[in-house]
Amino acid sequence: MEQLILDLKQQIIEVLNLEDVKPEDIDENASLFGEGLGLDSIDALELIVLMEKNYGIKLRDPSQGKQIFTSVKTMAEYVAANRTK
Amino acid sequence: MIAALGDNIVCGLGFSSEEVYASVKKGIGGVKRYEGTFGLPDPFMASLIADEALDSAFADLGRGAAGDYTKFEKAIILSASKAIAQAGIDASHKRVLFILSTTKGNVDLLEHENYDRQKVTLWHSAGLLAGWFGNTNEPVVVSNACISGLCAQITAQRMIESGSYDAVVVVGCDMLSKFVISGFHSFKALSDTECRPFDALRTGLNLGEAAATIVYSASDNVAGGCAKMLCGAICNDANHISGPSRTAEGLNNALQAVLQVRPADKIAFVNAHGTATLYNDEMESIALSRSGLSSVPVNSLKAIFGHTLGAAGILETIISTMSLKKRKVLGSRGFERSGVSCEVNISAEERDITDDTKSCFIKMMSGFGGSNAAIIMEVGQ
Amino acid sequence: MIKIAAYTRITNRSVVLNGEKIFTAKGENSLNLTELYRNRGIDYPKFFKMDNLAKSGFLGAELALRTLGLDTVTPKKGTAVIFMNSSSSLDDDIAYQQTIKSGENYFPSPSVFVYTLANIVTGEVAIRNKIMGESSFYIFEKFSANNMQSIIEQAFTNTSLDMVVCGWVEYLQGEMDVLVMAVQRDVVRGDEFNTLNINKLYDIK
Repeated sequence: MEQLILDLKQQIIEVLNLEDVKPEDIDENASLFGEGLGLDSIDALELIVLMEKNYGIKLRDPSQGKQIFTSVKTMAEYVAANRTK
Repeated sequence: MIAALGDNIVCGLGFSSEEVYASVKKGIGGVKRYEGTFGLPDPFMASLIADEALDSAFADLGRGAAGDYTKFEKAIILSASKAIAQAGIDASHKRVLFILSTTKGNVDLLEHENYDRQKVTLWHSAGLLAGWFGNTNEPVVVSNACISGLCAQITAQRMIESGSYDAVVVVGCDMLSKFVISGFHSFKALSDTECRPFDALRTGLNLGEAAATIVYSASDNVAGGCAKMLCGAICNDANHISGPSRTAEGLNNALQAVLQVRPADKIAFVNAHGTATLYNDEMESIALSRSGLSSVPVNSLKAIFGHTLGAAGILETIISTMSLKKRKVLGSRGFERSGVSCEVNISAEERDITDDTKSCFIKMMSGFGGSNAAIIMEVGQ
Repeated sequence: MIKIAAYTRITNRSVVLNGEKIFTAKGENSLNLTELYRNRGIDYPKFFKMDNLAKSGFLGAELALRTLGLDTVTPKKGTAVIFMNSSSSLDDDIAYQQTIKSGENYFPSPSVFVYTLANIVTGEVAIRNKIMGESSFYIFEKFSANNMQSIIEQAFTNTSLDMVVCGWVEYLQGEMDVLVMAVQRDVVRGDEFNTLNINKLYDIK
């Protein structure tokens, strides 16, 4: 799980172009949207693509994203439980 | 103020404004389910133009072989030809300007390994269009996402009122492709069923293909009964590049601006953008309410044509003008029960405009880039 | 009279702000927009999410507008953003096409797709500066001071407009050609907004 969390942090920084953010700056329990990293609706859609591309997870209902992307930790738990690659 | 001398619509429901309007009146919608089209992995709902029908209508112009032009090029040439013929103007005249409204033009050519880069550019398509009619003025391309069709008409008004041109041929068009559909799909914006603008059960939009043309001229010396574009406004939300403003700031500002020329009690109806995405329709309801238009009948044509992108502002202006001339408010297909937070008077069924003093309608749109626009059209008695 | 109150000229080689060369490309390389951003001490993390066209237009506007002391907080209903170019969003269109190659490489990217609309750059400038007037994007084959002047002057027939952030914003595969001007009505400072002066600024290389 530790490794997956670190991987996800790196992937999030890369695909969302968080140029000035380092993995250690992201608290895995802190919220991704709103305050936290200040992500927006396009970022949420891009995280759905990330899960599909890197972990083979197809999100049927985008509204599920809200719960999954609460924090890096919740995202890692979802990926661990549902990944197909 | 400028006058509409002629118009045309080329879409899945027909190749003339009258034919298309008749289909709408009969309750025929253009949106269908497609599977495997454009090499897309997922099925989609859209209103497409049949290639064979377009080729045959293009060949009937008797000028060029259908195989030498892209679908986008054939559609704009066909639509402009018919509108210009109806308007009875000499489109080659040096006092005539062509304006093309499009978001993506020939973008589907990028799929080919060795595409001709010049052919993909929008100015090239516009030049081809103007050149077809022997017009040598440099054409103007307006590419302002979903509101392009209204911006193009506003630009036409400025060109005519500034005295730069006597007449402007405003052509709007976008075709669908793997490029466009996959993009909207990645935005989770597409509905798997026919879209339901303003309805509680709406789940997203349908896309559509169309070309639409209006020929405008100065309004002096124009026969009565001719529709006139009184004014228009474009306002940015300054909020987000893809999400509509939660307070409808920009659209409200645009509506307030056009209501300066005619008060709300002259407005027979508002033809909304009504894409049937959750946030767009909600935002529009807020704008209507803030602008004091809650009781004015509202409709959306998106369940009939789909969202035709660069053509939408022109196509929907034409259909709405025809209905105003016939003193009707067209029904808002797909609407049963309101699913927006502010009170709006959605016209679920067609209704008559009984009050003779209501001589105008407002067409409004919003889109990516935070842009919003509204125009006001009037038909004199 | 309408005047050019401030301007930024960005080419592959250098950046000129109100007549002063403020940044030069290193060696033979083309100018790097991220280096320009850092060099000027701009703090706007959304910049990194933009495509190259939006970055070009954003920087052009940012540099010029800050010299006018314009704040980024007050809503500005009387200001418009009107840009034009030749290639529309082709630079990003090519990038998006890469995300939808068939088979295993089909992962359409929403954050790339959104920039396949040329006018998004006008939205980015509007958001940064709280500009709530008109935003428009026009396309012509080549830069033309005549087109620039007539389109912008006609926009000014809207009497509630007092400033237009306008210009030519072109970016295609590493080649950039940007002239952003803050054009104002009734100001003391600046040269008249006419084709002669527009061409003078565009000719700065």
